[in-house]
Amino acid sequence: MRFHLNGHDAAIPETMGDDRLLWVLRDHFGLNGPKYGCGAGHCGACTVHVDGVAERACSLTARDISGRRVTTLEGLGASAPEGLHPVQQAWIAARVPQCGYCQNGQVMTAAALLAADPTAGPEDIAAVMNEVLCRCGTQVRIRQAVLEAQRRLQEGA
Amino acid sequence: MTLSRRTFLQALGWTTGLLVVAGAGAYAFRPVLPYRGAPSRHDAAAWLRLSGEGLIEVLMPRAELGQGIAISFRQIVAEETGFALERVVAVQPRTDLVPPARATVGSDSLKDFGPLLAEAAVALAIVLQRRGSTGGAEPPGGWATLAGSSTLIDADDIARDGSNARSFARGEKRIVGTVQPVDAVRAMITGESPLYADDVRLPDMAFGAALRAPRLGEVIAGVDESAARGLRHYLGLFRVGERLFVAAETRGALERALAAIKVSFTGAPPVETDMLAMVDIDRGLADGAPEHGDSDARLAAGASFDLDLRLDVPMAAHACMEPRTAVAQFSERGDLTLWTGTQDVSFVRATLARELGLGEGAITVIGCRVGGAFGGKTIPTVEIEAALLARALKRPVKVQWSRGDEFRETFHRPPSSHRIRARVGPDGTLDVWHHAFRSGHVIFTSAAMGPALQAATSFIGDPGVRRGAASPYRARQARVGFEDVRLPVATGPWRGLGAAPNVWAIETAIDELARRRGEDPLAFRRRLIDPRWPRLARVLDRVASLADWPNRRSHAGRGYGIACGIYKEMSYAAVVAEVSREDAGMRITRLWCAHDCGLIVNPDQVRAQIEGNLVWSIGMALFEELTFADGHVAQANFGDYALPRFSDAPDMVIDLVEEGEMPSGAGETAIVAGTPAITNAIAAMTGKPVTRLPWRAGHAG
Repeated sequence: MRFHLNGHDAAIPETMGDDRLLWVLRDHFGLNGPKYGCGAGHCGACTVHVDGVAERACSLTARDISGRRVTTLEGLGASAPEGLHPVQQAWIAARVPQCGYCQNGQVMTAAALLAADPTAGPEDIAAVMNEVLCRCGTQVRIRQAVLEAQRRLQEGA
Repeated sequence: MTLSRRTFLQALGWTTGLLVVAGAGAYAFRPVLPYRGAPSRHDAAAWLRLSGEGLIEVLMPRAELGQGIAISFRQIVAEETGFALERVVAVQPRTDLVPPARATVGSDSLKDFGPLLAEAAVALAIVLQRRGSTGGAEPPGGWATLAGSSTLIDADDIARDGSNARSFARGEKRIVGTVQPVDAVRAMITGESPLYADDVRLPDMAFGAALRAPRLGEVIAGVDESAARGLRHYLGLFRVGERLFVAAETRGALERALAAIKVSFTGAPPVETDMLAMVDIDRGLADGAPEHGDSDARLAAGASFDLDLRLDVPMAAHACMEPRTAVAQFSERGDLTLWTGTQDVSFVRATLARELGLGEGAITVIGCRVGGAFGGKTIPTVEIEAALLARALKRPVKVQWSRGDEFRETFHRPPSSHRIRARVGPDGTLDVWHHAFRSGHVIFTSAAMGPALQAATSFIGDPGVRRGAASPYRARQARVGFEDVRLPVATGPWRGLGAAPNVWAIETAIDELARRRGEDPLAFRRRLIDPRWPRLARVLDRVASLADWPNRRSHAGRGYGIACGIYKEMSYAAVVAEVSREDAGMRITRLWCAHDCGLIVNPDQVRAQIEGNLVWSIGMALFEELTFADGHVAQANFGDYALPRFSDAPDMVIDLVEEGEMPSGAGETAIVAGTPAITNAIAAMTGKPVTRLPWRAGHAG
């Protein structure tokens, strides 16, 4: 079973075909970005991009992504200066993370949203970001960072 | 002869006086949650060492939970040594590197460890100077001559040279007091290096899970694993004492095995289902005065009061985003290394030693970055499971709790029930203040204490339940009493401990008194605040000015609420909330907070803690409630348990008050004022106090 992982061709053992994509990414490929938070698609900590769309890696199987293009947090900024996507740069500038565990989901969700809808308004942003939980209470800074990333992306475009 | 309660307590050296601050003797009984004294100079000498690359390693005695303690400690060490901040690195707590330290609880890392760390760092700088190295310059002979040594300084050096420390003295500073980015921010947002326990991967590592009875009071009666045996990568069912584990080589196989294994149960779940009803204060008062507190805490019956308010706070979850996770590995010799995200590596080691029958010297616990804790990661659980299973499996194993385990197998914020009666005298000050409450346990938690200790400590007021119960408002007659109720569901420390519910109750009552008198709630508070608390009065004044309080008018569609509170008699916060009524319910539209935690090492991290506390206030006021049904906590995942989300967090205006006092703590302060500010804003709209958390349109009051 083959797919594209962070820009490279990758293979998943047939015996892992029914495993959650999250386990395959974390345990077979040794990636730290996507996290287990709830296993049911509620919290978003496991978010990855599948063909550019934000998806919950806990709710997909390995088989579901056969032949598709998967980007994890590790691959998000691969082609950007200093390896940081504008969303990641904005995250550093806004000093968003506290414990950091949910931040994979926040960054990946925001990046997919701004790629799909570069001029997303506050309501659009809220509708999407409401689906990614953060317990530390970094939401105020997440909002600042998303707006900052949007500005950077528009300037860069 | 019957040993009277008082005699028993005297024999233990305890006091029941609620308003008497517990000193070091208060833990003479040594509950299972371990008490360790403040760190010593001897401890501090072990916190700093040099690497071969000329870096100062801060061997952290406190865990990084997202509160930014690593960067704050690095700033202190850089300040004192003249090293560039980048050349001071933090190493998460590990039992083989640092002496046992108090658990990372109570928001007191900077207060109790910061000044001592500064003294150790300045002592190190002086030793380096003697070796020919100033301000981080390489000494003659190179860094290698100093590397790895933990004996560069000792307690005597710190005693002799510590007074040169400048981090907490008045005067110009280089790095302390500046905004610096937190540790590991790049790793958190790129995934480029391992941080959390789940990022630990070992050769040949298996995955395991405990089999559990789903309801309290039940035990496993039988297991049929035949359907799992043929599964690829399945390793089997393992019995260790009373515990049963399932293990597999992959997490996918583990999940399939857990689904295939049939388990039957026996036992009787508790008959009580309503934990809040079990702590009903009026039921308690009907039986007499609350057990702990003032000798005459029975509320005077028949007397007349201007206010007689019943207030209730339900159970709530920690809901840390990172589920409990541990990785255990035994060496050929039988020594154990265990990785975990915990608030207390030494307690984990001590617990593992007892559970495994090993000496503490045979166990190394390596603390990983903690993905949220909030009091929840103080008691070892998953660590015991991983260690027992690794020994049974004879290979390394990772055990990660499911989200269902996180809701149902852990302890929670206890429910509490309060009655406050008060009377205002002709001069407008408080004649009478009676506050009685009942709560599940906090420090004397059944999550850590067996039945014998539970029985023994039943004589003693739980200090975590008591936290924050002393009102900061003067009254000619003040009585505060409480009672701990042993609940079937385990309860324990949750952000703010008792202070979050207790201050909410006090601030709701004070606000309602002001409203009934037609007085401005700010002016009423200012008149009543005991002169012992000038810093509380100051934050109240500051937030009033920040929020333009005198010009805020509440109406049916929009309300403004104010509240203030003290945390552990060391930190102070006052909050103004603006709440708007919307079709979907109440929305917090703005928050202002003035906050005083003394001297600030990293202002941005203090702000981050305040923001977090205010978001928790929104959760506590509007969303969070755990219930109990069918023998277990009813909620099993985030879909069942409402937390504040992105659009629930409004713009926040924060004023950091810093007037030269020593540092205290910011981790649990603003929540005590934030929650009542929000509910008081709702009360300002509706004209009725919010007496039950979380606020619901349907609740009485």
